[in-house]
Amino acid sequence: MATPVNRVPQPTRAQAAAWELGAFLRHVDYLLLLATGGLVAYGLWLLDAVTRNDVPGDPDYYVVRQLTYVAVGGLLLALASAVDLDVYRRVRVPLYGLALALLISVFVFAEEVRGSKRWIELGFFNFQPSELGKIVLVVVLAGFVADRRQRLGEWRTTLGVVGIAIPLMVLVFKEPDFGTTLIYGAIVVGALFFGGAPWRHLAVLAVVAGLTATALLWFLPSAGLEVLEPYQRERLIGFVDPDIDPSGSTYNVNQSITAVGSGGLDGRGVANATQTKFNYLPEHSTDFIFSSLSEQRGFLGASILLLLYAVIVWRGIKIVAVARDLYSAIVAGTVVFALLVQLFINVGMTIGIAPVTGIPLPLVSYGGSSLLTTLILIGLLEAIHVRGRLAGAR
Amino acid sequence: MRHANRRLRLLVAVFAVVFAAAFARVAWLQAVKAQTLDRLASSQHREELDVPARRGTIFDRLGVQLAFGERATTVYANPKQVADPREVALAVGEALDLDPGKLYPLLADRSRGFAYLARKADPEKAETLKAQAIVGVGFYPEERRVYPQRTVASEVVGYAGTENRGLSGVELQLDEVLAGENGSRTIVRDPFGRTIDVVESTAVRNGRDVYLTIDNTIQGYVERVLRGTRARWGAQSASAVVLDTKTGGVLALGVEPGFDANAYSAVARSDQERLRNRAVTDTYEPGSTFKVVTVGGVLESALVAPSTKFRLRYEIPVADRIIHDALPRGTLTMTVSQILSRSSNVGVVTLAIKLQRERLSEWIRRFGFGRRTGIDYPGESRGIVLPPSKWSGSTIGNVPIGQGIAVTPLQMAAAYGAIANGGLWLQPHLVDRVEGDKPVEPKERRVISQRVARQLTRMLRGVVEEGSGTTAQIPDYRVAGKTGTAAKPEPTGGYSESRYVASFVGFAPASRPRLVVLVTVDEPRGAIWGGVVAAPAFAEIAQFALQYLEIPPDGRQAGGE
Repeated sequence: MATPVNRVPQPTRAQAAAWELGAFLRHVDYLLLLATGGLVAYGLWLLDAVTRNDVPGDPDYYVVRQLTYVAVGGLLLALASAVDLDVYRRVRVPLYGLALALLISVFVFAEEVRGSKRWIELGFFNFQPSELGKIVLVVVLAGFVADRRQRLGEWRTTLGVVGIAIPLMVLVFKEPDFGTTLIYGAIVVGALFFGGAPWRHLAVLAVVAGLTATALLWFLPSAGLEVLEPYQRERLIGFVDPDIDPSGSTYNVNQSITAVGSGGLDGRGVANATQTKFNYLPEHSTDFIFSSLSEQRGFLGASILLLLYAVIVWRGIKIVAVARDLYSAIVAGTVVFALLVQLFINVGMTIGIAPVTGIPLPLVSYGGSSLLTTLILIGLLEAIHVRGRLAGAR
Repeated sequence: MRHANRRLRLLVAVFAVVFAAAFARVAWLQAVKAQTLDRLASSQHREELDVPARRGTIFDRLGVQLAFGERATTVYANPKQVADPREVALAVGEALDLDPGKLYPLLADRSRGFAYLARKADPEKAETLKAQAIVGVGFYPEERRVYPQRTVASEVVGYAGTENRGLSGVELQLDEVLAGENGSRTIVRDPFGRTIDVVESTAVRNGRDVYLTIDNTIQGYVERVLRGTRARWGAQSASAVVLDTKTGGVLALGVEPGFDANAYSAVARSDQERLRNRAVTDTYEPGSTFKVVTVGGVLESALVAPSTKFRLRYEIPVADRIIHDALPRGTLTMTVSQILSRSSNVGVVTLAIKLQRERLSEWIRRFGFGRRTGIDYPGESRGIVLPPSKWSGSTIGNVPIGQGIAVTPLQMAAAYGAIANGGLWLQPHLVDRVEGDKPVEPKERRVISQRVARQLTRMLRGVVEEGSGTTAQIPDYRVAGKTGTAAKPEPTGGYSESRYVASFVGFAPASRPRLVVLVTVDEPRGAIWGGVVAAPAFAEIAQFALQYLEIPPDGRQAGGE
């Protein structure tokens, strides 16, 4: 038996996997993970206190369910961070088709809840396709733009991006879910912005969007054509002038501002947070959880929340910088921008600096679809980080 | 990628702006606006409600209700919620018997969120309105004060206003006792106005019932007699006081013209004067009834005896004035007894001069003039009595015969009460007892000795039996008393030739006195004399009261003294 000389020992499959896992673990952005985990845990603790009085006889109703979503979401985050983003790029057309189909199916299957059809009931879980649509839109647009990196200055590219987004946006808008539509818009802007579309294009789009909004809010209704639901229109106008009708369309905002302010510096505590406890503050486990948190925990509690978000956004921006290619950079930038916009719209509406549009506070509001989606998006950021670092290390 | 990096810096800027804005706004709300918003949060779910205390009932001495609270319903509107003011005005007007024309402007005034449609309406009528469930019209229960005896004793009881607080009379005097203390409860409501929790913050303490010394039957009779007397003599007004000599309790205190306490506000608009109990709050110059003070004083000072004789001319000069008797006569010799029973001005002034101003002043005080009796009634007058230092030379010729001095009917009745009660003055009072308290012990004060009281009583009996007061006689009872006829002072000075106050004050049965009755008639026409105008009213009242109270007769038929 000849003894092999100078033979480099080939690693076994197991060894290779272990090595890859080690590299992966070495390059995870732990700060992002920590901030995300901290925010989710903080959110659970808040939710527990906020929903104490919501279901008679079952004070833990919401928090138990949310815990389940957190567990699933954690797995999905891990999974998303492990998968190479190029996979989505390759299958982006079927992905887009799936999102379109799900959003259409909403109109067929969904039960109407308070005037809007957003959820498909899966028995154990109310699935919200528009949340999943966010992820799809991010990777689809990023792939589309990255493929045209040489033709970014052309109107064709920009209009292509808008054209891809519009069918999804119209469907979501008709559910109706104005808030999520806005986030879709943010994703479009993010993809164009980080893809490097010319400022000119962005400016024109902004003007068109402004004109559309004006038309929807004032001109079309006065011409007898109502595109927005009346409540949406009232809320948006009410944002401009909150005293129009304090018990009507701006009721939510005023109650929310009252709740935030009454919290003071250190909060009223759970038992004395009457806005939340007696349900003066509507939707306090979902859209208005920031107000409830502020009422119960005060400026201190709100600051902790905002600082955790700041860490996440800061890490996100870092990840855009370490992305290994344009595609990844666009995905990371769009995710961060969309998160930032969603955060601003949600927190802003509870404190009266943004219109009430009804979107959840990412990672904190009660609700499975939003939580899972956000955790997957964080997973995407981690995937970009790991691969960007690995590429940089070679 | 450099391209992307530049854009990344823009994202960092957006990030910074968003967080700065959020932090700034949250800090503004939670630091600067915190207190305002905290109050707002508390006020929208907590409501303090008054739990009104029941106002105590006022009873007469036998338990007849003089004033009590009745269930009523107040109807109000929130004009901002009223859809059709015209229709609502018609519906409310029909249900509550109100003029829709007056309701309409209240309902149509959209600038206000609250308007009373009817305070304390009939609860049954309000119930029919409630059944119509008109949006913007609300109801809450209230207590309405009712005076079932109407005009009877209204001067004593007084009245409570719309807010159920006493405004005059016993209602005012004992307001705190009667009113009790409102409780409060805090109601916690959810956003739909449903009550989540009711917290009793302060327990309600109902008002206590009050029992007066007033006897509703005697009071009613007194008022009837006064009405008749006032009509018979065309007088401005007439008043009477009936005291229980053993306790000082006021059995009746009437003033005519009176008023119906249920309609006090209408009376207040037309004739404010009527609402006062003038027997307590107003003064008059008493005239001859005041002479007992001087006579009592000289007897008690042992300067004279009842039988001491004086030779008296028709006139007597006092300083720059000349005092004479009421009717011209020659010079006569009179005993002290005769001076009083014949009401000789010259005789009384002669006695007063023996007493001198300092001691006379002291006796005026001891009989209770010039100071409040302390009756439990608001607004009592102390009368007008000059201190001796301010007397002029002629004052000693005026005051002893009841001129240049002002007293209240109540003071006069109490002074005669002291004579009737063996010289012991008892504080007149209206409240016999308050629920939960011990009966009131009247204050007492010795004015004269029992001996002098007996002597004065005998003289006063003479007035009724053979003097100026024979019209005050009552079958079967012996009466002691004194007439008074005093010219009213003119606002310009001096005394009127035509306007007089005629009065009679006395007590019976004279041997064992139980009642003091004083009648004053202001400005009678046709006759001015106390013996003619006031004494018959005295007799009517005293006779009725004696029989009603079943006081044994002491008169001739009954076997004499």
